[in-house]
Amino acid sequence: MISRFFRPIKEGFYGVGRHAAMSISSASAVTITLLIISIFLIFSFNLQQFTKDVEQSVQIAVMIDYAYEEQSQMDKIGIDIGNIEGVNEVKFSSKEDEFQYYLDGFEDEAQKEVFEPFREDNPMHNAYYVSVEDGSNLKVVADQIAQIEGVDSIDYGGESAVVLVNALNSIRTGGGILAGALSLLAIFLIQNTIKLTIFARSDEIAIMRNVGAKNGFIRSPFLIEGIIIGILGSIIPIMLSVFGYIYLYRIMDGVIISKMFVMIPPHPFVLKIGGILLLIGMAVGLVGSFFSVNKYLRWKR
Amino acid sequence: MIELIHASKRYPNGVNALNDINLKIDQGEFVYIIGPTGSGKSTLIKLLDGEEIPSSGTVNVVGINVGKLRHSKVPLYRRNIGVVFQDYRLLPRKTVFENIAYALEVIGMRKDMIRLRVRQVMNLVGLDDKGNSFPSELSGGQQQRVAIARAIANKPKVLIADEPTGNLDPAMSDEIMALLQKINREEQTTIVMVTHDLPLVNKHKKRTIVLEEGHIVADLQQGGYVQHD
Ligand SMILES: Nc1ncnc2c1ncn2[C@@H]1O[C@H](COP(=O)(O)OP(=O)(O)OP(=O)(O)O)[C@@H](O)[C@H]1O
Ligand SMILES: [Mg+2]
Repeated sequence: MISRFFRPIKEGFYGVGRHAAMSISSASAVTITLLIISIFLIFSFNLQQFTKDVEQSVQIAVMIDYAYEEQSQMDKIGIDIGNIEGVNEVKFSSKEDEFQYYLDGFEDEAQKEVFEPFREDNPMHNAYYVSVEDGSNLKVVADQIAQIEGVDSIDYGGESAVVLVNALNSIRTGGGILAGALSLLAIFLIQNTIKLTIFARSDEIAIMRNVGAKNGFIRSPFLIEGIIIGILGSIIPIMLSVFGYIYLYRIMDGVIISKMFVMIPPHPFVLKIGGILLLIGMAVGLVGSFFSVNKYLRWKR
Repeated sequence: MIELIHASKRYPNGVNALNDINLKIDQGEFVYIIGPTGSGKSTLIKLLDGEEIPSSGTVNVVGINVGKLRHSKVPLYRRNIGVVFQDYRLLPRKTVFENIAYALEVIGMRKDMIRLRVRQVMNLVGLDDKGNSFPSELSGGQQQRVAIARAIANKPKVLIADEPTGNLDPAMSDEIMALLQKINREEQTTIVMVTHDLPLVNKHKKRTIVLEEGHIVADLQQGGYVQHD
């Protein structure tokens, strides 16, 4: 039973060795692919993080006119805002909350004292805080809110950050397509390498079939061979990603450009990236050999 | 045991290798298939071992409709039959013992059982002392005996052989014939043997089926070669 488990593994390594040059070249294709994928992944995960941060920081502050402080009037304004297309969430903040928030902004107790008398005669507006589904819609939504009756003024910011994040997101899409295309190329190269092994062993395969070896028995060494090539190809990208990211994080001090873009801390992030790369490498190897095996082992019944 | 009903084989290139073959072979029989080159003998063997699918008609072997087998089921069917070829088809990097054992490993037999059975068939084919030799160190006749040992190792009900003596001189051919007859007798294995070798057919008389241009032109229960023109 143990030998039945180890046989395909042993023969898989044999196959890698038999076509060492081909194996190395397909493993290098995997390496290049995974390097690109690694950059793509690190970029994507961080971008995802930025996008969330930026989107949280981007909101429209809607100040309500002093003449509309009846609860029913304010509720209506809230509902009207909620009905605008592209609005994600509407949060109410009373003028008392606003005042407290304003006071909390001061570090200095003495400063707070200065404003304390105004609590009775609160100059703040009741307000809604509106977040949008898509940051690039910010201006459109804001303009519509400004039209609503009872809205005194609106204020929003962070548009440039949104534009930047959107630009980065399109780069990510491009990167994803590139990574996908390279994976296909790597799969194709592995398929070719496995094909050579299959051809080199065609006599043996014919004999196996003659004596009644099941398809799985014949296939498994080739699948293992593909997986081994995938693993070999993923070693360098994993090392580079892990140590490269740790190094990058250290020299960048954990942020990119400004405090708005906080990098994901390396631990356990690099392990996740390494794991994903290994899995992709194995999957690419498996898929490549699977295609080959399905195509070229069927030549004989 | 073996039955072909209106079986025809047309290759994709348009060659009609077999036409409307009707044939019945019972358990324990020993049958020769003879005929000129290109008459469809190997094609018949390939229909029997499931390598080719009949274009029409039915091929039944040991109760299995061979032409209807899915690709993945062919291996299980093969375990019921043994196949021997003119060119032996041994694995050059495995010893005699390993070559025979291989056919049993493939079907998942236990190691100790394999050892026992391999010794048994090596004895049957008269190669007790060649276990550690490689195929390249053996004569043609000896290699064919290894191939036969491998084919019968898992006790198939049917042994089919495509010109097993094709590459052998008459003395060696006689040895192989004696061996096949012994297997037929001692293991009750049904044997279908394609051959070109008319002196052999005349010497060891068996039921003989004559093919010509894809048709059965004679089925001689008593055997012996008949001139045909
Ligand atoms: N795979 C194939 N594809 C196309 N045509 C084939 C194929 N195999 C055999 N044929 C043709 O089918 C016919 C019968 O061939 P087959 O090999 O069965 O003859 P045979 O009786 O075994 O001949 P031989 O005595 O030379 O071995 C021949 O015309 C041959 O060219
Ligand atoms: Mg032939």
